[in-house]
Amino acid sequence: MIRTSGPLVEVAELTVRYGAATALDRVSLTVGVGELVALVGPNGAGKSTLVDTLSGILVPASGSVTVRGRLAHVPEGRQVFGDLSVEDNLRLGGWRIGERDTAAVYAVLPALTELRRRRAGLLSGGEQQMVAVGRALMSRPDVLVIDELSLGLAPLVVADLVRHLRELNAWRGVAVLLIEQNARLALDLCSRAYVLEAGRIVAEGTSAELAASSLVSDAYLGGVVVDGE
Amino acid sequence: MANELAGYVITGLGTGCGFALVGSGLVAIYRVTRVVNFAQGTFAVIGAMCASSLLSVLPHGIAEPLAVLAVALVGLLVGFVAIGRPGTTPQAALIVTLGLAIFAYAVVVLVWGDQPRSFAGVPGAVTVLDGRVQSHYLLVIGVTVPVFAGMALFFGHTDLGRALTACASNPYAARVIGIDVRRMGLLAFAIGGALGALAGVLLTPVQQITFDSDVTLIVNGFAAAVLGGLTRPAVTLAGGLLLGVTQALVAGYGNAAHQTEIALGLMLAVMIGRAARRPAALEEPT
Amino acid sequence: MRTTALVLAAAAAALALPVVLDGRQLGIYVLAGLAAMVTVGLALLMGFAGQISLGQASFYAIGAYTAGLLTVNGVPPLLGLAAAPVLAAGFAAVVGIGLLRLRGHYLAFATLAMQLILLSVLAQSEWAGGAIGLQGIPRLSVGGIELDEDVHYAYLVLAGLTGTLLVARNLVASRVGRGLRALATSEVAAGASGVPVGRYRLGVFALSAAFAGLAGGIYAFYLGYLGPGSFPVLLSVEYVVMAVVGGLGTVSGGVVGAVAIVLLVQVLNDIGTRPGMPSYAPSVLSYAVYGLLLVIAVLYLPRGLVPALSRRDRS
Ligand SMILES: Nc1ncnc2c1ncn2[C@@H]1O[C@H](COP(=O)(O)OP(=O)(O)OP(=O)(O)O)[C@@H](O)[C@H]1O
Ligand SMILES: [Mg+2]
Repeated sequence: MIRTSGPLVEVAELTVRYGAATALDRVSLTVGVGELVALVGPNGAGKSTLVDTLSGILVPASGSVTVRGRLAHVPEGRQVFGDLSVEDNLRLGGWRIGERDTAAVYAVLPALTELRRRRAGLLSGGEQQMVAVGRALMSRPDVLVIDELSLGLAPLVVADLVRHLRELNAWRGVAVLLIEQNARLALDLCSRAYVLEAGRIVAEGTSAELAASSLVSDAYLGGVVVDGE
Repeated sequence: MANELAGYVITGLGTGCGFALVGSGLVAIYRVTRVVNFAQGTFAVIGAMCASSLLSVLPHGIAEPLAVLAVALVGLLVGFVAIGRPGTTPQAALIVTLGLAIFAYAVVVLVWGDQPRSFAGVPGAVTVLDGRVQSHYLLVIGVTVPVFAGMALFFGHTDLGRALTACASNPYAARVIGIDVRRMGLLAFAIGGALGALAGVLLTPVQQITFDSDVTLIVNGFAAAVLGGLTRPAVTLAGGLLLGVTQALVAGYGNAAHQTEIALGLMLAVMIGRAARRPAALEEPT
Repeated sequence: MRTTALVLAAAAAALALPVVLDGRQLGIYVLAGLAAMVTVGLALLMGFAGQISLGQASFYAIGAYTAGLLTVNGVPPLLGLAAAPVLAAGFAAVVGIGLLRLRGHYLAFATLAMQLILLSVLAQSEWAGGAIGLQGIPRLSVGGIELDEDVHYAYLVLAGLTGTLLVARNLVASRVGRGLRALATSEVAAGASGVPVGRYRLGVFALSAAFAGLAGGIYAFYLGYLGPGSFPVLLSVEYVVMAVVGGLGTVSGGVVGAVAIVLLVQVLNDIGTRPGMPSYAPSVLSYAVYGLLLVIAVLYLPRGLVPALSRRDRS
C-alpha cells in the first residue's frame, strides 16, 4: 500500500446535504494507522451519512474526505445479499480488488465456515453481521468502518464480534472506525472517540476523557461515570 | 396421429425457445435493475431486421452474430435512457422502455419498411419419429440450450455474474462493496439486447417478422419469465417451451386462432396465482 | 381565482368551437373529446389509485361494441348508449377481481393481455362481425330527432366529457378521493388506516372503464362502423401517453394531455401527408412523437404538463 504521510482517514470541514437538509455540517475527523476510533451520537445525528460519504456512496457538498489506503464498510443493518450464499457474499466483498480466496476470512471468523453454503438472508442477525464483517475483510482493508456493530444483537454475540475486532486490530493492524449507539461498548473498545450531534462534532478526545466528561456520561452512559482504562 | 405429434412438439419447442430467449433477456435485465424492459420484443425485431439487411452482403454465420452484437449496443442505448438518469424508479423505467418500444416502430418502419421480412434459415426438413419438421427448428433448439447453460454458468459462477446478481439483491450493499450499480445495469441491458436479438434472428426464418411483432414476442417472453418470478433463467426456459408446445398443439389439433388466448390465459393464471399466495405488500413498489 | 377564470375560458371555447369549425376540424374535435374522456379515467386510475393499465382501449372497445351491437339488433340507440358505460364498468369489475390482485409491471402486462384476448375473441366471434366488424350502425337519435351532423356529435362529446369531469372532480374532492390518494402513496399504510383498499381499487378501475365505455359508445354512433382493428394495443398506449403528459395527479390533466396530443398528431399528420412524403410518413411521425413524448414526460416532467404549468404560474 502506497501511503503518503498523514492519517489513514482524514475528513476535513465536511458538509453533506440531502436536498436542502444539511446532514453534516463542517465535520472534521481522523483515523490513524492501526487506530481504534469510535463515533457516537444520537439517532439522526448523521453518523451513517458520514460513513456513506467515506465509502463514496454520498457526495460531499463541501469539504474533503481523504482515505490513504483501503477502506471497507460494514453498513448499518448488515445489508447482506440475502438470496446469495455466504460464500458468494464473501467473494463479492473481494470484487473491488479481484480477490476470490475466502480462506483467510474463514480463518479469522471460523464460525462462518459451517455456514458457507447457507443463504445469507436466512441467517440470524448475529450470523449476518459476521458475514457483513467477513465481506468487508475480503477487500483486505487498512481501515474497517462499522456502522452499528451491536444493533439488535444479543450481548454475547456482540462480545464475540468485539473480540474479533480486537484480534484484527492487534494481529493485522486493521484500523477501525466504529459507529455505536452503545457508547460504553464503543469507549471500552476504542482509544479515541468523537461525539456527533445534529450534524456537528460536539466533543472529541481519548475515550477516558470523554467517559469522564459530564456531557458524554449524562447523555450516553446513563449518568454513571466509568473509570478510564 | 403419432407422427403429427412429434412434428408439433418439435415445432413448439423451437418457437418456445424463441419465447424463452426473449424471456431470458427480460430476466437478465430484471435481475439486475428490477426494471421490466418493455422494449425486449423490440430487440428481437431489430435483430431480425438487421440480420436480413446484413445477409444481403454477408454469409450466414457472420451476419447473424453481427446483428446480435449490434442489438447489444441498442440494448445499451435503451438502458442508458431507461436507467441512466439518477433517481429513475423501476416503475418509471418501465414506462420509458414502453416509450422507446413505440419510438422504435418509427425507426424500424423508416429503415426497413412496414412489410413483413424474412430470410432463409437452415434449409430442408428432417424426419423425427416419423414426423416431418423444418430442420431450422433443430438449429433454434441447438443454439438456445447452450445459451441457457452458459447463462446459468455466467450468473451463478463468475465474478461478473455474481456482481450483476448482487445489484438486484441489494443495490445499496452492492455500492458499499464498490460495485458500480449503474454500469452493471447498463451491462444487463446490453445482455438483454443480445438475447432478444438472438430470439429474433433464430425465429425469423420460420416466422415472418414485422415492425410490430414485438407485442406478441414480449407478451410470450413475459409469460415464460413470469413462471420463474422474472428472476430464474432455467424456469424461464421451461416456461417458454411449455408455451411453445401448448400453442403448437392447440394450433395443430384445434384452432390456430386460439393460440394467443391460451398463452395469455396461462400467463394471467400464473400471475394471479402467484399474487394470491403472497401478500400484496411484497409486490408493492418501494 | 385564476383557475376558475381558466376553466371558464376553456369551457366557453369548447362551447363556441363546434360552431366555427369546418368538417374536418369537427372530426378532430370529436376525437379529442373522446380521447379526453378515456384519459380522465385513466389519469384517475394511474394518479390516484396508482394502477397502470395498458388495456384501457378494451373498455373503449366494449363500450363501442355494446352500443353498436344493441342498436344493430333493434334496441333504441339511446338505450344502447346508456348500456355502453354500464357494461364496460361491469366487465372491469369482474375481471378486476382477478387482475387487481396484481401490481406494477404485473398489472401492466395483465391489462395488455386482457386487451389482446378481447381483440382475439372479437375477431373470431360471428355475432360481433368477426374480423370485419360491425357495419351500418344507425345514428343516434334522441326523442325522434336524429343526430346526423358532426356538430351534433361535437356537443354530445362535450356533454359526455363534462359529465365525466364532474364525476371525477367530485370523486377526488370526496372522502373516497382522500382515501385513494393515501392508497396511491402507500397501499399498506392506507390499508392500516382503514381505507378499504380492495374495494377502492376496484371502484376506480370500474369507473375509469365506465368513462372509456361511454366514449366508445359515442364513437360507435359517430363512425357508424367498428372492428377489432379500431382498437389496437397502440391505442391503449396512446391513452397512457396522454395521461402521463397531461399529469396523473389532476383531473384536468387528462383533458389537457388528450387535446394537446391529438392536436400535435394532427399537425404531424398534415405534414406527413403532404405531396412528396412517403406513404409511411404519417405513421412514422406519430410513432416517433408518442414514443418521445412518453420518454420525455416520464424523465423530465414526471408530474405532467398541468402541475408543471401551474407551478410556473405561482412562482
Ligand atoms: N436519504 C435521505 N434523504 C433525506 N434525508 C436523509 C436521508 N438519509 C438520512 N437523512 C437525514 O439525515 C440525518 C442524518 O441521518 P443518518 O442516517 O446519517 O443518522 P444516524 O446518525 O446514522 O442515525 P441512526 O443512529 O438512527 O442510524 C437525519 O436527519 C435523517 O433524517
Ligand atoms: Mg445510522
